[in-house]
Amino acid sequence: MAHPKKIVLLGHFGVGKTSLIRRFVESQFSEDYLVTVGVHVKKKEISIDGNNITLVIWDIEGNTSIDKARKSYLLGTSGFIYVFDISRPETFESLETEMKYLQDNFENVPVEIVGNKKDKFGEAVSEEFFKTQRFENCTFTSAKEGDNVEDAFEQLTRKMLAI
Amino acid sequence: MVEQEEKLQLLRDILLIDDRQVANAINERIDAITQTIDTKEKLSEKVDPILDERFKTFIEEIPTTLGPTITKTLKEEIANSKDAVVEALYPIMGQMIKKYIGAEIEKLSEAINQKMAKTFSMEGLKRKVIARFTGQKEGDLLLSELDKPIVNEIFAIQKGSGILLGNYSVSNKVDKDMVSGMLTAIKSFVEDAFGGGNQNLESIDYELYSIHIYNFHSYYIAVVMSGHMTSSFENKLENRVLKVSRKISSKIDSLSRNEVDKILTTLFKTWKAIKY
Repeated sequence: MAHPKKIVLLGHFGVGKTSLIRRFVESQFSEDYLVTVGVHVKKKEISIDGNNITLVIWDIEGNTSIDKARKSYLLGTSGFIYVFDISRPETFESLETEMKYLQDNFENVPVEIVGNKKDKFGEAVSEEFFKTQRFENCTFTSAKEGDNVEDAFEQLTRKMLAI
Repeated sequence: MVEQEEKLQLLRDILLIDDRQVANAINERIDAITQTIDTKEKLSEKVDPILDERFKTFIEEIPTTLGPTITKTLKEEIANSKDAVVEALYPIMGQMIKKYIGAEIEKLSEAINQKMAKTFSMEGLKRKVIARFTGQKEGDLLLSELDKPIVNEIFAIQKGSGILLGNYSVSNKVDKDMVSGMLTAIKSFVEDAFGGGNQNLESIDYELYSIHIYNFHSYYIAVVMSGHMTSSFENKLENRVLKVSRKISSKIDSLSRNEVDKILTTLFKTWKAIKY
């Protein structure tokens, strides 16, 4: 049995990190917002190209920047998911700085950038806005409706296995 | 004319006599009813047996007619106000727990008395010798005999990532990967928050259990224990954990989880048979 892989979800408060994990692990969604205090650890086994992989997912409390997150929570991570909220510009305005931080401090650790709450496209912000080069590597998800959530985790796992 | 009058009167008497009697009888009855209604005692005499009968029937029928409704309402009320129910039950539960603990202490006291009575037996003599040579209190040894330490779980966990490297479990009740992650998160938090340089968290106590943490370079071993730990048992446990580390440390990066599981199981499965 191979050792599990640790994934940490990063991003501002209220971008939907916990909801994404809940949707991915339990196939559930709740409108109630409960701020994550400290860290929650969840587990999910997935199969990619016939390989069974156990993902241990760390849902850490939101921070306005990764620099402010507790460093020890990020140790030994096999992959990061950086989550922003498409309806709140402050959650993605420093996206480049955040990615540089990860690149500098976790050089070989793959990152999946996720724009969550895509169900709000057209309501809070236009979909066109995110069709620029700046967001070309992002996966747009909706934890509420379940869109692309599994894809985001699967894409990251594929990147992790490739290294 | 007079004769006619008399005849008419006679005719009236013949025709109306019954009506008058009836009217009189009705008046008398109405008077009696009015008196019954106006007099509490008399009304009570009449109505009470009927009400009693109705009430009796009502009580008898409660389980079938109102029972389901009452049960449903109670269930809903309890579900809607769990906190209030807990608050209300807390003092009662507290009393029950207090009584239970009292009874258990009494049992413990009896057991200690019995043990003390055997002080001059071979067992007692042996305990005295162990106490003398190990420097442990005889009382501690006695307690450890009554509340034997049990190893419930052992986790070998990668530092930082919290990834479970291997495990031995008596019960297999918990999700090991999640426990390893959360344990590492707690450990990281405590070590970060109270940041005393390279100091490590070494134990966590919760109710009847305690987690003893033995730190190595790239991993740590967490032992979940219950029961009374003597320093002698702690020594033996530490030696056994060191034995594990000697077997896994040099090849920790290449060992699979199954291999680590096997090493832990081999070294700890017989632990219960060890004398404390």
